[in-house]
Amino acid sequence: MADRLRKTVLVVLGLLWLAPVYLMLVNAAKTNDQYGVVSVWAPAGLAGLWENLSSAWTRGNISEGILSTALYAVAAPLIAVIVGAAAGFAIVALRLRHGFVWFTVIFASTVFPMQMLLMPLFIGYVETGLYDTRTGMILIYTVISVPFAAFVMRNFFSGVAHQVFEAAVVDGASTWRIFWRIYLPMSTSALVAIFILQATLIWNDLLLGLTLTQSEETRPVMTALSALQTTYGGSTMPTVLAGGLIVSVPTVLVFLLAQRAFTRGLALGQY
Amino acid sequence: MSTLTARRAPVDTTPGARRRPRHTYLWSARGFALPALGVVALLLYLPFVWTGYLSFTEFNGLGDPEWVGLAKYQEMFADAGFLNSLRNTLYWVVGTLVLPVGLGLLIAVLTYGIAGSFWYRLPFLLPYAISGVAVGVIWTFILQTGGALDEALALVGIVDPPRWLLDSPLNTVVMIGAATWQGAGVNALLFTIGLQSIPKEPLEAARLDGASGWTMFRTMTWPMLTPLTTVVVGLSIVGSLKQFDVIWAMTKGGPGVSSETLALTMYKETFVSNDYGLGAAIAIFLTVITVAASVLYLRRQLSGAKEL
Repeated sequence: MADRLRKTVLVVLGLLWLAPVYLMLVNAAKTNDQYGVVSVWAPAGLAGLWENLSSAWTRGNISEGILSTALYAVAAPLIAVIVGAAAGFAIVALRLRHGFVWFTVIFASTVFPMQMLLMPLFIGYVETGLYDTRTGMILIYTVISVPFAAFVMRNFFSGVAHQVFEAAVVDGASTWRIFWRIYLPMSTSALVAIFILQATLIWNDLLLGLTLTQSEETRPVMTALSALQTTYGGSTMPTVLAGGLIVSVPTVLVFLLAQRAFTRGLALGQY
Repeated sequence: MSTLTARRAPVDTTPGARRRPRHTYLWSARGFALPALGVVALLLYLPFVWTGYLSFTEFNGLGDPEWVGLAKYQEMFADAGFLNSLRNTLYWVVGTLVLPVGLGLLIAVLTYGIAGSFWYRLPFLLPYAISGVAVGVIWTFILQTGGALDEALALVGIVDPPRWLLDSPLNTVVMIGAATWQGAGVNALLFTIGLQSIPKEPLEAARLDGASGWTMFRTMTWPMLTPLTTVVVGLSIVGSLKQFDVIWAMTKGGPGVSSETLALTMYKETFVSNDYGLGAAIAIFLTVITVAASVLYLRRQLSGAKEL
C-alpha cells in the first residue's frame, strides 16, 4: 500500500519533470505557420522539424559551434587526464616530497569561482594573441580539467600496491615507461570516467566562451545557442528550441550510456 | 606481467610502506608533477592573485590600473545594484537548499528499495544532462509572456497570470525553479548513494523495536545520512553561488538589473561597463563566500582522500 503511494507520487512528479522535454520536442517540430496557431501543448506532427533543425544549424551557426566544441571537448580532457594522471603518479608512486600539500594546492583551485579568472584571462589572452583562438580555448579548458583529473587519479593510484612499481623498477623500466606502459593502462576505467565528465562539462560551458571568443569559428556551441536565442527577429521560437535540441542530444546520450561514470564523479564532488 | 596490468591490483598493506626513503625519484617526481602544478599556478592561481590586485584599482581595461585602495569595495557596498544582486544571490542559496536539495532527498527516499527504482529516477536525471543554456531556452519558452505556462493557466480559467520573467523577485524565484528542474535529480542520485551505504542492521533492529515510516526516517536514516547531506548541501550552496548559465539564458539579469546575482553583476560590471576594479571587487566578495561554503564539504573530501 505504502509502495503504491510512493509510486504514484513518483509517477506524477516524473511526468511533471518530463513536461518541459515534451514541450521542447513538440514545438521544435512545428512549422512557423503552425506555431502560434496550434496550442503549444498539442503535437502537430513532424512537418517543421527538419527545417527548424537545419535553420538552427546553418543560420544560427550551431554547426560551427558544434565543430569547435567537439574539438575542445575531446582535446582538452585528453590532455588533462594525462597531465592529471602524471601528477597523481608523482605524488603516489614516486612519492613526491610534500605530495599531499601539492595535491591540496592543485585541488583547492577548484573552489574558486570562474569569475576570479575571467578578467586576467581576457587581458592576458588579448596580449598574447590567444584571444579568440582555438588554441587558447583548448588551453583553458585543459587547465580547468586538470585539478579534478589529478584528484581522481591520485586516489586511484593510492589503491595500487607499491610493489607493482618496485617490481617494474627491478625489471629495469624507466619511470616514464612505468607510468605510460603500466600505470596508465591499468587505470583505463578511471581515465575514461574523468574524460567523459570533463568533456560534458566543457561541452556545456557558456562563460569561458562568452569571455574569450568572438568569431563564429571559435565560439563554442552554448555561446552560439545563447546568441541564437537573443537575435530577435532572425530566429523563431521553434528554431531556437531545435537549436536547444541539437546541443542537448550528445550530452544526454553520453549521460545515458555512461551513467556509472557520472555517479562515480558525483560521489567525488564533480557537480 | 599479467598481474601488473590487472584491473584491480592488490592494496598496499606492507607496514612502513609509506616510510621508505623518498630521495630516489626526487627529480623524476618533480618532472611528473610539474605540468599540472605549472598550468594550475600559471593559469589559475596567477589570475586569482591578479584579480585580487585589480580589486584595489581603478581600471577600464585600457591603459594602466591605478591604485585606489579600498575605494572599489566602498563603492561596491554603497551600490544599489550590488545590494540587489546580493539579495538575489541569497534567494538562490536559500531556494536551492529548499528545492533541489529537499526534492532530491524526497525522490531518493521514495525510490529507495522499490522495484525499478532506476526508471523512476530517470525523468529527474535527464535534465541534468542538459546544459544550463538549453535549460534556459526551454524555460524561457515556458515562462515567457503568453508562453506554455500561461496557456495552460488560461485553460483552467486564469487569464491574468503573473509576469513570470519581468517582475522581481518573481523572476528569480521562477529561475530557481528552472534550476531545480535541472538539479534535483543529481541530488536524488547522491542521496540514493548515501542511503545504499547505510548499514542495514541498525535499521532492522529499529524496525523490530516497532519504528516505522517517519519515526524511522527521523531517528535512524536521517542521522546516518548526515555526512552525505553535508556534502550535498555544500555542493548545492557553491553551485547556486556560481550559477550563471540559466540566468544568462533566461533574463541576462534583467529587466534592468532586477534578476542579477553576484556572478552576473561581476561579468556585466567588467565586460559591459568596463569597470574592472568594481568587477574584481565583486569577484573577490563572491569568492570569499564561495570558499566559506566550500569548506563545508571540502574538508571532508580531502580528509577522505588522505585515508585512501
